[in-house]
Amino acid sequence: MMKITKKTILYMALIIVAIFTTGPFLWILSTSLMPGENVFTFPPKIIPTSISFKNYTDVWAFLNFPMYIGNTLIITSLGVTSNIFFSCLTAYPLAVFKFKGRDFVFAALIATMIIPASAGLIVNYLTIIKLGANNTFLGVVMPSMVTVFNVFLMRQAFMTIPMEMKDAGKIDGAGEFRIWWQIMMPMVRPAVAVIGLFQFMACWNEFLWPIIILNNSDMYPLAAALTFLKGQFSYNFGWLAAGTVISVIPIIAIFIFCQKYFIEGMAGAIKG
Amino acid sequence: MSILKRLRKSEALTAWMFLLPGLFLLCIFVFYPIIFSVPLAFTNYSVIDKTKFIGFDNFKRAFKDPDFIVAVINSLKYIIIVPIIQVLSIFMAILINSNVKGIKIFRVTFYIPVVTSMVAVAIIWGWLFSPDGMVNYIFLSLGLIKSKISWLSQSQTALWCTMFVTLWKGLGYYMMIYLAGLQSVPKELEEAATVDGATNFQKIRLITMPLLKPYIFFCSLMSLMAAIRVFDEVFVLTNGGPGNATLTTSLFIYNKGFINFDFGYAAAVGLLVSIIIMILSIIAFIFNKKGGVNPY
Repeated sequence: MMKITKKTILYMALIIVAIFTTGPFLWILSTSLMPGENVFTFPPKIIPTSISFKNYTDVWAFLNFPMYIGNTLIITSLGVTSNIFFSCLTAYPLAVFKFKGRDFVFAALIATMIIPASAGLIVNYLTIIKLGANNTFLGVVMPSMVTVFNVFLMRQAFMTIPMEMKDAGKIDGAGEFRIWWQIMMPMVRPAVAVIGLFQFMACWNEFLWPIIILNNSDMYPLAAALTFLKGQFSYNFGWLAAGTVISVIPIIAIFIFCQKYFIEGMAGAIKG
Repeated sequence: MSILKRLRKSEALTAWMFLLPGLFLLCIFVFYPIIFSVPLAFTNYSVIDKTKFIGFDNFKRAFKDPDFIVAVINSLKYIIIVPIIQVLSIFMAILINSNVKGIKIFRVTFYIPVVTSMVAVAIIWGWLFSPDGMVNYIFLSLGLIKSKISWLSQSQTALWCTMFVTLWKGLGYYMMIYLAGLQSVPKELEEAATVDGATNFQKIRLITMPLLKPYIFFCSLMSLMAAIRVFDEVFVLTNGGPGNATLTTSLFIYNKGFINFDFGYAAAVGLLVSIIIMILSIIAFIFNKKGGVNPY
């Protein structure tokens, strides 16, 4: 008896929090499916009286979604692969080699996490212009091609691999780079999945840096294009709702699909 | 040269070969901005004037700039959410740590706000907070307010709304960290306490909380820094308005740099904010030491 009441209370608490965290998303989904006259009513409608996809077809016709999704995919894939490559490359020697200056490199990396670089945005903008990479996708991803947080995460992962693996490769005559790429990298695949996911989300959701770097709005990723839509169609909320739903569905789907990796990886990263 | 020494040397060479590309990128985009913003702060670098060294003028200007003062105060006000985040996310982590059917689904739903973009979140909450929005409807029907409030366009309420959105979006992230902490609590300890007749509340207070302390410190520090650096929410939701009601330091820096192209001044303000964050972090560390907690 006692146990049942306890469980009921637990489930009630869980459901209340779940409504709190996902309620706004469900409500925007419902709004996006409402015919125009349903959107602006008070008290606000929670469930549409009739379902209509007109908002979706309208906003799809107005905003070139395939183009923006394409841009997002290019930026995201470029950002994720380069970040995985460079973060793993940087983390590897910090985990397996003993060499002079290692502690110094390590300390310098930690310092970047303590010192906040608020003004970094401005200096990076000036740098990108000097490099002539403004208005290119490369310029969008360049500053985040290697991130200190991911370097630390990968270092933890490389440290768990027994050194015999590396030595075995060496005896077989493999070069250091090949040992890293062919022997060590496959062994840290779960950690690679975690940083890949983190980076995927970061790239997919980034809007400010792309707006700063890209002069041509035809190159904007989806999140940046959404700010565009927000500015122009605050009065037509049905469209805005549909556009928002289109932009969040991929990322939520990927999160749900990979949540096992993500949640375990996150716990592992923190325990380190 | 002994073999060992030669081996060391070749190992060091390989290590640096591996480090070089990554460090090169970090130097350009992470270390260089930090270092270069110091000299930049002492110049009038902008697109208009000829760049020259102006000493501490930028800093003096900042202290007299009412907008900057407001921005600092707003950023400091934002710290209020730090303890609230800890309490709520620990509560969520304790809920999610229980072993009941369907808990995985709840774990996912609690985390969803974290994975979505701030632009989408701002659009959703901007609408919820609108005069005809859900927030007014709920508050009116509960009798908490007498008439509709336009939450985001009133200076008394706007900052609280953006703070709420930050809180709402961040909870899941900290919950995950606390969940990792909870899962590191040895099962035997809890079982022993159960045998000794401890209630659930006692178990949380006497076993879970002390063991969670290093995590609380870590999360508080992280959320403290995030609160002072807050940018995305205010940028998309209110863009600092109405008036200066939601102007935060990061937004101020952005406006000076990318709207006024006053790069020297923006860099100086950036340095001042960095100093504020460092001071607060040091205070947090001292506070933590006095509390007798030893993180890790």
